[in-house]
Amino acid sequence: MQFIKKKRVLQQQMRVTAGLAVMGLMVMMLILTGCSNSASPATPQAESDRVMEVTDEENHPGDEASDEPVVVRLSGGDYGYPQPYTTHSRGPGRYKVNLIFDRLVEKDENGFVPWLARDWEISEDGLLLTLYLQENVIWHDGTPFTADDVLFTLAYSKAFPPVGYGGLLTDDAFVEDVRKVDDHSLEIYLREAYANYTEELTALQIIPRHIWEGVTDPESLTGSEGVIGTGPYQLTHYDAEHGTYRLEAFYDFWGPSQAVDVIEFVPVSDEVLALENGDIHLASIPVDVIQRFSDESVYGLIDVPGVWGYRLRMNLQQRPELQQREVRQALAYAIDRQDLVDKIARGAALPGSMGILPPDHRWYHPNLNPYAPDAETAKALLASAGYEPGELSFTLLTGQNQEVRMGELIREHLEAVGITVVIQSVDSNTRDQRLAEGAYEIGLTGHGGWARDADYLRDRFAPAAFDWSDGVPGYENEWLTAELNRQITIMDEQERKASIMAIQEALAEDVPEIPLYFNTGSTVYRRDIYDGWMHIFDHHEVTHNKLSFLNR
Amino acid sequence: MRWQLRWTSINNAIRWFTLPGKLALLVFCLLVFMAVAAPWIATHSPYRSAGPALSPPSQDHWMGTDQLGLDVWAMILYGARTSLLIGMGTALLAGLGGGVAGIIAGWYGGWIDRLLMRMVDILMAIPRLPAMIVLAAFFGAGMKQMVLVLSLFSWAAPARTLRGTTLSLKEQPYIRMAAHHGAGLLHMLGRHLIPEMMPLLLISMIRLSGRAIVAEASLAFLGLGDPTSRSWGLIINHAVNFRGIYLTPYWQWWLFYPWLFLTLLVTSLALVGRDLETLADPRMRSR
Repeated sequence: MQFIKKKRVLQQQMRVTAGLAVMGLMVMMLILTGCSNSASPATPQAESDRVMEVTDEENHPGDEASDEPVVVRLSGGDYGYPQPYTTHSRGPGRYKVNLIFDRLVEKDENGFVPWLARDWEISEDGLLLTLYLQENVIWHDGTPFTADDVLFTLAYSKAFPPVGYGGLLTDDAFVEDVRKVDDHSLEIYLREAYANYTEELTALQIIPRHIWEGVTDPESLTGSEGVIGTGPYQLTHYDAEHGTYRLEAFYDFWGPSQAVDVIEFVPVSDEVLALENGDIHLASIPVDVIQRFSDESVYGLIDVPGVWGYRLRMNLQQRPELQQREVRQALAYAIDRQDLVDKIARGAALPGSMGILPPDHRWYHPNLNPYAPDAETAKALLASAGYEPGELSFTLLTGQNQEVRMGELIREHLEAVGITVVIQSVDSNTRDQRLAEGAYEIGLTGHGGWARDADYLRDRFAPAAFDWSDGVPGYENEWLTAELNRQITIMDEQERKASIMAIQEALAEDVPEIPLYFNTGSTVYRRDIYDGWMHIFDHHEVTHNKLSFLNR
Repeated sequence: MRWQLRWTSINNAIRWFTLPGKLALLVFCLLVFMAVAAPWIATHSPYRSAGPALSPPSQDHWMGTDQLGLDVWAMILYGARTSLLIGMGTALLAGLGGGVAGIIAGWYGGWIDRLLMRMVDILMAIPRLPAMIVLAAFFGAGMKQMVLVLSLFSWAAPARTLRGTTLSLKEQPYIRMAAHHGAGLLHMLGRHLIPEMMPLLLISMIRLSGRAIVAEASLAFLGLGDPTSRSWGLIINHAVNFRGIYLTPYWQWWLFYPWLFLTLLVTSLALVGRDLETLADPRMRSR
């Protein structure tokens, strides 16, 4: 009996030891994969092996130092299947589509760069746009790319507009005709001169005609054929429930070689901790904890340009008091934008200018009335408009969380000049919808795109008919409207810039809306994993452009 | 046989309290005092930034300030009002409503009983928090709506308890005698049932208020309360929404104090409730 008992104990002990050993081994493996800067793909797949086999030296000019593929892990989350019709409309979804598909024109730090269109010409009168396409481009399935694919994409997008698409190239009021010249060039005839035509060339991802022709329900194309593009990456894994993606380099890509071989998107709950643990290799880090990373040489820091901003919108239709310019100016003097920057953005932001274009915009007007916070001036302006302190009261529509806090600060600022504010907080979708419907008095909203071509001023301040998603309900300034409509027809850049400057001066005087601040801050990345991140001129995320992943 | 709590001599009742119970009662009274006297105790306004943002506890702000520079102590004081009002409001509404429903069900029996008890069953089976989140999102933010939503989900427990008591009381000879002599429900309620059930109802109301306070804090934490009001759950919500708060020292006051007071209030309610329960149950009392 004794012996049997002993044996059992021994067996148990052995089992425990074996268990511990296995666990130790697993931990070791985890540590090893976590530490090596060129970890092999965590989820080996048959498909990925196939892609890896295609790798050959010629396609890897910059990678002599190591044969190990560069794998970059980024914060994931489900943003839809990455083809133009099933992606979610927010940036994290759309840039994945853009890694798989190509546009005619791309953007870099300074402006537009040739992409599928290797060159383009605009006629002197601005009415004929000629595109010259890259040759030797193939789709991921090996079929050659031609002008027919571009023509097809234009026609198809007219019938079925892709997610979030609002471009002019499919608009009959803008485009008179599109003609194929030969397999690698085409002509687009415009009805009127349009200075910002290059931006329109970045609006569409080109899809393969041989796959999409005859597809009448583009949202149903969620198999592997739906993600055949000409882009530098191919989708090899997607899991909606976990919000994971895996993109692998397509080494027969026509353009610059890939500096990153595999991009993996993994779900994380806290980006700061995930970056520290090495679960992801890049994250936007709040100012208060940046010290943890800035002192470590393994991390690189990138300053984010201030092109994502908040603005306070005023509804002149609902509140006729706001028709008086003095009242709007008083609001601008009352709201201490620097205080918002210090408290809400913790200092990592640039206060807005009443000329609307942000300081990081290439056509920013630096010499406008700064509207330095001044309660006395604000009160005097209100008095000159005929309002006693305490007479005016507004409902401020905000989103949630930080926006409510921002609303509380604005309430404090406005109450200091005798304007009462009631905060109404709703979820951000409702807020967006109510702003678009004009169902608000004053409203707070934040979004990107502030560094885009200055033509967005036209969307905001030339009166629209009924869609207020961008505009100011009830606001009309005749000179401004005429000038906004004129600038877009000016094909000479210097002349157009002068017009935009004059427009900013008028806006700063009129204050139809109040830009509050533009987020800056830092993106932190693992220098040892990948070091090639860059910003394009009009976007605040280094990951949202494809040049960041390519050798240039 | 029947034991009646004499509320005229509260002293007498408190004497039966255990030491933790007495301490809890003291803490509870202190918190009530804080809530009532908030405008006089607070050294700053809870709605206006009173100092530099995120300053640690100091002489001027002895619980520090939050992101906007609001005094945390002032927000705790005014937050106590929200928590207590919602706790008491829910306890009263759900306790009385549920109590009446329970007595009616027990007294009349039949289809009324079946209907009410099925509703109770359903309410008890529904997971509370998800349902409350939906309702709170639907009714919107605000103290009244919050009390309404919380009551809607809290009346089931007192209803069930009081129905049981009513059923057993109904069989008591003196009640049957009274009924035989033609006493109606109203008379019965005033003369016999309510005095009999008061202790039970009170205990279940104390329990309800504890739960309501936590539920309010959870909803506020999830961002479903009035986001500009001052409540403990909301302070916690703002604090945890501050990116990277756990990697900064700020949580040591911005998050810690509202958590501490919430815990104090809920624990003290639970302890007082426990002692009252012992008091109300003659068998346990004799021990």
